[in-house]
Amino acid sequence: MGLIEIEHLQLSIDEVPVLRDVSLAVAPGEVLGLLGPNGAGKTTTIAAGLGLLRPEGGTVRLMGADPWTGGAVPRRRVGVLPDPNGFYDWMTAPDYLGFFADLHGVANDAAANERRMANVGLAPRRGQRIGTFSRGMRQRLGLARALIGDPLLLVLDEPTNGLDPRGRREIHDLLLDLAGQGVGILLCTHILDDAERLCGRVCVIDAGRTVVQGKLADLLLGRNSQRRFRLNLAGPLPGEGAAPGPAHVRILHQSSEYAIVDIDPHVTPAEAWRELFFLGWPIVTIAPEGGGLEALYLALTAGNTQVVRAAAAEPVP
Amino acid sequence: MSPALRIARKEAGELVLGLRGQLWLAVTTAVLSGFSLLLVGSQELSLLDNAQVVYDMAGLITALGALLAVIAGIDAIGGERERGSLLPLLLAPVPRGSILVGKLGGPVAAWAVMLALAAPYFWAIGSTGQNLTSGMAALLALGTPVVLGFGFLGVALGAWMQSGRAALSVALTGLVLSASPLLLGPSLRQSAIGRMFDAVNPFSAALNCFDAVIIDSQGAVSQASHAVVTMVWLAVTAWAAAAAMRRLSR
Amino acid sequence: MQYRSMLIATLLAVPLLAGAARHTRAAAELAVSLAPIATNPAAPRMGDRLAFTSSIRNTGAAPVEGLIAWLSLVQVDPGHEQPVDLEDWSAHKAIALATLAPGAEVTTRWPMRLIQSGQYRVVVSAVSRAGDALTPSRFVDFTVAPKPVVESRRVLPVALGVPALLVVSLLLRRRRSAAI
Repeated sequence: MGLIEIEHLQLSIDEVPVLRDVSLAVAPGEVLGLLGPNGAGKTTTIAAGLGLLRPEGGTVRLMGADPWTGGAVPRRRVGVLPDPNGFYDWMTAPDYLGFFADLHGVANDAAANERRMANVGLAPRRGQRIGTFSRGMRQRLGLARALIGDPLLLVLDEPTNGLDPRGRREIHDLLLDLAGQGVGILLCTHILDDAERLCGRVCVIDAGRTVVQGKLADLLLGRNSQRRFRLNLAGPLPGEGAAPGPAHVRILHQSSEYAIVDIDPHVTPAEAWRELFFLGWPIVTIAPEGGGLEALYLALTAGNTQVVRAAAAEPVP
Repeated sequence: MSPALRIARKEAGELVLGLRGQLWLAVTTAVLSGFSLLLVGSQELSLLDNAQVVYDMAGLITALGALLAVIAGIDAIGGERERGSLLPLLLAPVPRGSILVGKLGGPVAAWAVMLALAAPYFWAIGSTGQNLTSGMAALLALGTPVVLGFGFLGVALGAWMQSGRAALSVALTGLVLSASPLLLGPSLRQSAIGRMFDAVNPFSAALNCFDAVIIDSQGAVSQASHAVVTMVWLAVTAWAAAAAMRRLSR
Repeated sequence: MQYRSMLIATLLAVPLLAGAARHTRAAAELAVSLAPIATNPAAPRMGDRLAFTSSIRNTGAAPVEGLIAWLSLVQVDPGHEQPVDLEDWSAHKAIALATLAPGAEVTTRWPMRLIQSGQYRVVVSAVSRAGDALTPSRFVDFTVAPKPVVESRRVLPVALGVPALLVVSLLLRRRRSAAI
C-alpha cells in the first residue's frame, strides 16, 4: 500500500480546472520528486492529497484513508513543509516546536525539543525569537516541525529554498537517512539537482496532467533524454570535408579541441561511439552536455515553456 | 492538554501578552480613564446618576470587547493566512472544530482581562449608586455572548474572505451598525424598522438588559428574552464560523 | 439633542406657569388633582424614587374627547428657575384617552427618579380636543437633597492609578525580557 495514492485526480478552483488528470503514489522508503513548471498544479495536488481540497474526480488515499472525509486522523503520521512556510515570529524555536508537539500529542519537554532542534542544525538558536531567523533557518525549523510525530510520510514543498550549499547537503543527508529508515517522501521542487540527488522516482505534471511518472533512471534511459555530448578531442577530426560524416551522430559544433554532438535516437550511445572510433575520431573523454533530468524536464514540459515564451514575445529558438 | 486548549493558550498569550495586546490594554484603560475623568471633570456629565453612568460604562465595555473580538477573530485566520502560519496549523492532526474553539481563546482571554480591568472603574463610578453588582453580572451574562459572537464573526469573515482588509471593513461596518443603539438610544425605537432592528440586534438586547437591570432595577428573570437574543446570536455566528472553517483550504 | 429636549420641556412648562390662573369654558369641564403617594420618602435624596397620583375627572355634562394629560417639572431654586427635561427622570411623561364620560375619572400614577438636587415643582396638565385652554392641577413641591454621584476621591485614584500600574508592569516585563 502506498502512503499517498492519487489516481486521475481532477479539481477546479473557482470553476477553473486546475487538475485534469494527475496520478502519483509514494511508497514507504522512497523519495518521489513532483516536478512541473509554475502553475502546473503541484501545490494543488499536494493540497488535495492532504485533504485540504475536495477532489471532483479520481481518488485520493492518504495512509489508506480518504483525507477529505477522514478528518485529522490520516494526517497523524504525515509531516508537511508547505510553501510559503510561516511561523509565530514572537516565539522561540523550542516553544514553537513544543506547541506543535502538543498538537501531535507527542512529548513536549526540553530534551525532546532540543533533539528536534539538533536534528536540523538549529540547536545554537534555541534562545532566539523566530522573527530574527534567516530564510534558511526558517526552512530548517519548518523541517523540524514536519518531523514532529515521527511521520511515515513527508510532504516537502521546496525544502531547500534559501539554504546555502552546506545546508542543502545537510538536508539532503537527513532526507536520505529518513528514506533509509522507511519514511516515504513526496518532494516538490524546482531545484532539479535536489531531485536528481534525492529522488528514486519522479512525477512530472504539466497543465494539470501527469506527463510521466517512474523511476528516474528508467525515465532517463527510456526517454533517451541523454542525447547531447561533449567529446574532448586530442586533435582535429580526420579527413575533414572529404570523408563521409558519421551516419548516427549529428555534429553541432567542432574544433580541434572538442565537438558537441547529438546522437541518433535509434542507436545507443555505445553504438555511436563505436562508429566514431572506426572513423578515427581522436576522442579523449566523453561527457553529457545539458542532458540528464533537466533535458527530460524541458522536453516533457516543452509545450508549456513555448507558450510562456510566445506570450512574452520572445524569440523561440 | 487538549489541542483546543493548547491553541487557546497560544492565542491568549499572543493577544494578551504580545505587543498588540499591550497596545489594546493601553487603549482600553485610556478610554475608561478618560470616561471616568470626564464624569468628575465635566459639570454636565457629573450630574448623571450613578446608575446611568454604570449603564454607559457597561455599554462602552461591551463595544470595546466586541471590537477587540472581531479584530482578533479576523487576525486569527486571515492574519495568520497572510503571514503563512495558518497552513501548518490546518495540516496538524487536529480537528477543525478544535482549531475554531482554540482560536476563540484570544478573544475570551482579552474579554476576561477587559472585565477585570473595568472592575475598579465600575467600583469608582458606581459603588455609591444602585445595582452595581447586578449590572456587572448582566454585563458578564449578556456582554459575553455578544462579544464572543463578534469573535466568531471575525473568524468566519477571516476564513471566507481572502483579504484581511476586506474582512475587517465588513466586520467594522457590521459592528458599527449593531452598536448604533449605544449612540442613538431610545430614539432608535421610534420607527417600525428601528423597533425590528432593536428586537433582533444582539447589541440592543444587551443594552436593553443593562438598562432594565441597572437603571430600572428589574430582576434577572425578566431579562430572559434579551438573553435569548444574545444566545441566538452566539449560536448563529458559531455555526457560520464552523462552516467557514470546514471549507478553509489555505 | 439636549437643546431639543429643553425646548420641549419649556413648551410644556411655560403654559403651565402662565396658565394656572386662566379660566376658560373648556377648563371648567375637567378637574385635575395631583398628590404624592404615601410611601414617598420624607426627605428624598438624589437617586431616590418618588411617585405622584393624578386624578382627572370630567365635571361637565358631555363626554370629553381626545384627552391628553402630561407631567411637567420645573426647578425653582432662586437663580436657577428652569423647566426640567423629564427624559432622565421618568419614562411616564403623558397619557392619552380617547374619551372620558361625564362624571368619569381617570387615575394615573407618575413615578420618577430624582436625578439632580434642588427645589422642584411638579404639576399635571390636561387638555381635550375641543377645549381651548389647559386644566392644570395644583402644584406639588418637593426638595431633593444632594448626594454624591461620582466621587472624585474614588474616581481619580482609579482613573490615574490603573494606567500607571499598567505602564509600570509593562516596563517591568520589558526589562525582564531584555534581561533574559
